[in-house]
This record gives sequence, C-alpha cells and structure tokens, in this order.
Amino acid sequence: MHQGKHIKIVTAALAGFGLVVNMIMLFVSGTVAMSVGICAGVVGFVSLCVLTGKNLKDSSAIEVAVRVLNEEEFNESNLKKQAKSNVLLRSVYDFVSSFGSKIKELEKKGKECGLQLQLQQKEKHSVEAILYSINDAVVVSDDFDRVVLANEAAGDLLGFDPAASYLKDIHEVIKDAALVDLVVKSRAGNIKHVKHEISFDNEQGISTHDCVVSCVYDDKGMVSGVVAVLHDVTREKEVSQMKNDFVSHVSHELKTPLASINAYAEMLVDGEAEDQETVKEFCTIIQGQAQRLNRLIEEILNISRIESGLIKVNKEPLSVAILIQESAQMIASYAAEKNISVSVPAPIIYGQVEADRDMLSQVIINLLSNAVKYTAANGSVTVDCQVDDADGLMRVTVADTGVGIPPDDVDHVFDKFYRVEANKKYAKGTGLGLNLVEQIVNKVHGGRVFVTSEVGKGSTFGFELPMAVREGAAV
Amino acid sequence: MTDKRALVVDDEIHIVQVVAIKLRNNGYEVTTAENGAVALEHAKSIKPDIIVTDFQMPVMTGLELIENLRQDSETADIPVVMLTARGFAIEDEKAKELKISAFLSKPFSPRELLAKVEEILGVEAAV
Repeated sequence: MHQGKHIKIVTAALAGFGLVVNMIMLFVSGTVAMSVGICAGVVGFVSLCVLTGKNLKDSSAIEVAVRVLNEEEFNESNLKKQAKSNVLLRSVYDFVSSFGSKIKELEKKGKECGLQLQLQQKEKHSVEAILYSINDAVVVSDDFDRVVLANEAAGDLLGFDPAASYLKDIHEVIKDAALVDLVVKSRAGNIKHVKHEISFDNEQGISTHDCVVSCVYDDKGMVSGVVAVLHDVTREKEVSQMKNDFVSHVSHELKTPLASINAYAEMLVDGEAEDQETVKEFCTIIQGQAQRLNRLIEEILNISRIESGLIKVNKEPLSVAILIQESAQMIASYAAEKNISVSVPAPIIYGQVEADRDMLSQVIINLLSNAVKYTAANGSVTVDCQVDDADGLMRVTVADTGVGIPPDDVDHVFDKFYRVEANKKYAKGTGLGLNLVEQIVNKVHGGRVFVTSEVGKGSTFGFELPMAVREGAAV
Repeated sequence: MTDKRALVVDDEIHIVQVVAIKLRNNGYEVTTAENGAVALEHAKSIKPDIIVTDFQMPVMTGLELIENLRQDSETADIPVVMLTARGFAIEDEKAKELKISAFLSKPFSPRELLAKVEEILGVEAAV
C-alpha cells in the first residue's frame, strides 16, 4: 500500500512538473516543444487531481483535463475557458499563467537588455572611433586616477601605448608631471574645467598644447573621472609670433625714416640750419626719407597684396633674356660705382615665360641689386638663363663673388624681414626684397626660388618659371 | 655754451648727422660712430662726457656697447642716453644696472634730446 502511495506521489510529482512545464511552454512559446511535456502532463494532471482529492471521482474533471490537455485543444484560450468551470483547473491556470507571464516578461526584458547592450556596444565603439580619429590627444581617467581611455594622438604625444594603458595608474602611464598634476588636482579638487598651456618636447620636436581638463560627474554629482583634451596650438602660436614680429619689424622700419623726417623738420623750425645750403640739405634729407618711407610701405603692401591674392596680375609672354638686359641697365650705374662687372646673357627672344612684366622686372632687379650690394669692389656678377626643355622650365641664376651667406642663414634669406646678421654691416635693407622675390615667383607665377652660397666666395640666387606654351606648338 | 665732448652712435647716417649738428650748434665737441664697436674705440680714446647711442645696430648693439663701457673703469661712469625705435626694450633693472641715464624713443625731438643731455651734465640750458 505504502509502496503504491509512493509511486503515486513520485508519478504525480513528475507528472505535475510535466504539466507545469507543458503549460509554461504553451504560454511562453505556443506549441513549440510542447511534446516534451505533453504525456507527462496528462498523467500528471490526473495524478494531481487524485492526490488533491478534489473532484477525484468526478469523471468530468478528468475528462476536462484530458480534453484540455489534448494536443489539438491545448491552447491558452481553451484552457482559460475550461478553467472557468473548474476550480482546480483555475488555480493551476492562474498559477501557471502568472508564472508564464513572468517568464515572458523576463524574456522580453532579457531581449531588451540584449538589444540595449548591443546598442551600447555600438555606441561605445563609435565614441571610441570618434575619440581615436580626432587629432587632439584625449586621456580619460577614473576616480582612482587610472587611465580608462586614451586615444592614439595621446599615445603619440605623451609617449605611451594606449592599448596597454587601461586601468593603469596615470602616474605610471604619463611621464609629463604638469599634465598628471593637472588631472589629479582637478579630480581631487572637483574642478569642473581648467585650461593650461603645456609644452612638450618629444620626437616630433617642441610643441605647445592647450590642455583642457574637465571632471566627469556621475548621476549623484560625484566626480567619476577626468577628461583631458590636448589641442596642438604650436602653429597658431608661431603665426601669432610671426604677426607680432611683423608688426614690430614694420614699426621699427617705418620709424627709422620717420625719425629723420621729424628731427630735420624740427631743426628747420628751430633755425638750426645756419645757411641756405644747410636748409636745402635738410630739406633734401627729409624728401629722401619720405621716399624711403613710401618705398617701404609699397613693399609691405605688395607683399601683403600678393599674400592675400588681391594684386592685379597681367601675364603675357615675355623674353626673360631681354628683361634681364633691361634690368641690368637699371643697376649699371650702381655697379659701376663699385667697379663691379655685370655680365648678362644675349638678349634672345627664345625662351619665353608667361609673366607679369613689372613683377618679373622687380624680381630680377632685386636679385641684381642684392648681388652688387653684397659684393666687394672690383667683383663680378654673372646672370645666366637656361631653358630646361625636359621640364618645360626657364631657369635664371644670378651669381656674385660677394661675401656669401653663413650656412645657418641660407635657409632663411627669403623669410620676411630676415637679414643675415653677419652681413648687415655691408648694406642696408628692409629684409623684404628677397621675400618679395619669393612671393612673386612662387605665389604669382607658380615657380620656385633657390640659393646656394659659400662664405667668402659668393652666392648664387635663382628662380625657375614654367615656359610659355609656344604658339603653333603641338598640343 | 659748453665745451663738453659728446659721442653720437647710430647706424643711420642721417640720425647721427642731425644729433651731431644739434649738439655742435650748442657748443659740444662731437665725435660720431656708425656702430657699437667703433664707438667703443672712440669712447676709450676721447673719453666723452656723454654718449648718445642707438639701440639696434649691426656689429655691436647699443646695449653691448654700454656693457663693454661699464667693464672698463675709464669708461664705466660715462652717462649714456639711448635712442630706440622699439620703445623701452630694456627692463628697468637692467637699465639701472647699466647706468643708462635716459631713453628717448624714435621719432625723437633733437630739442628734447639736447635738454636731456644738458640736464644729465648739469649744464644750464641756454634759452
């Protein structure tokens, strides 16, 4: 008897479990996998009725149960319908349905979570991609001053491997004490934003960066980390410095003739000129200095116009050799004063360039007068022009037997206002002449300038311009 | 009128000339130089009562000239007036250390320059 009861219980338990599984399956996924528990379900339900003693002898309950659990009719609505008329079935139904809906809910939530996780992963990747692609160095640290994110730019600038920096102490990763100090102090002091300029000296040379360090806050307003963004301002600073230098140079250059004009005018007013001849001399100086001032302003404006692209350019086919001949005549008297011989190529028509006559003349005159200026008496200046048919270029060189340029200065002679310190004593200059040459050749005519020099031996300045397309030439 | 000796230094010939004329017209014996190096030699040989020098010059700047002057006991105390086109490019402390008596920025007034020189030398201004 006991044995039989045990069997009943075990069977019932197993079957009940089968029923529940079956029903859950139904709720959760419809008929899929229902066969797993269907047999156990039928037996189980009957056993459950037997065990609970409720409507045990009620053949209709068993009938209902069997019918309900019949594969064809076993669906939620049918079960619900049947449950209305049967207390046991209703309680089972209620239990199972609440359980099933919870699972459904959980599964839904699980799906949502999965989706959200995917989205977050995607977002994380895109944020990382953005951070990695920007040129500014970005380092993010957590509230324990450990690096949680660093982009490639940060690695390059600060000399560490971003991939190997994760969760490492910032002191260990970043060697620049000023930056680390800024990050740690921002975090500890809860400083929302702080901006500092930091200079770095690495393989790429010295660079200056605007470093903005900002605290990151969590939902509760607590500091959860620090973001440091380093923007390279080296170029901006250079440009700004160049502008300052330019203004400083210009004002110095303008003030020099102005000082003479002012002083001599005052001397005239104060009657310091003793005789008529001195009065005339003072007036001549004033006039000369006013002209110098004007030339200077013109040169500055020309460079500025060329730089901004505002200058009017009239390009026409020109014979460079003829232009050289004309320019040489203009400086002939100056060269003769120092007994410097100037040899120029024969004035042939061949070898034309498409250029602005006035501008190209200015280029040649500037190079010629420089050559004469920095060559001692009895020296020589040789101008040559060659056609490079292969490259379609006209190359003009002006070689002198002058003082030459020290190697450190050679690369800078075309810079605005640059004057070779060692050669200042030989001649006056604004430091604008060669810059104008470079601007006209490079910027206006798409050519290039060059220079070679040896101290004590002389310098060779030159330029190349694209040849004009000859009329009738095959296209 | 005075018989003081002045040394005028500038690489701008017209500036040297105008200062020299102004000072000569007012009784100074004037020597000129076109850069600091030449001026240093003159300063040692003629021992002027005052030096008027430009700041920016090739070969040797006005500042280098003064530094050199101050190292030699014979020229260490010569008062210096500095002309500059760049405003006051020297810090006050440095100016004090080098005993630069006055700065005048270009464009300058020869009248003011003379007044400054007379003031430094304690000469009664000739009205």
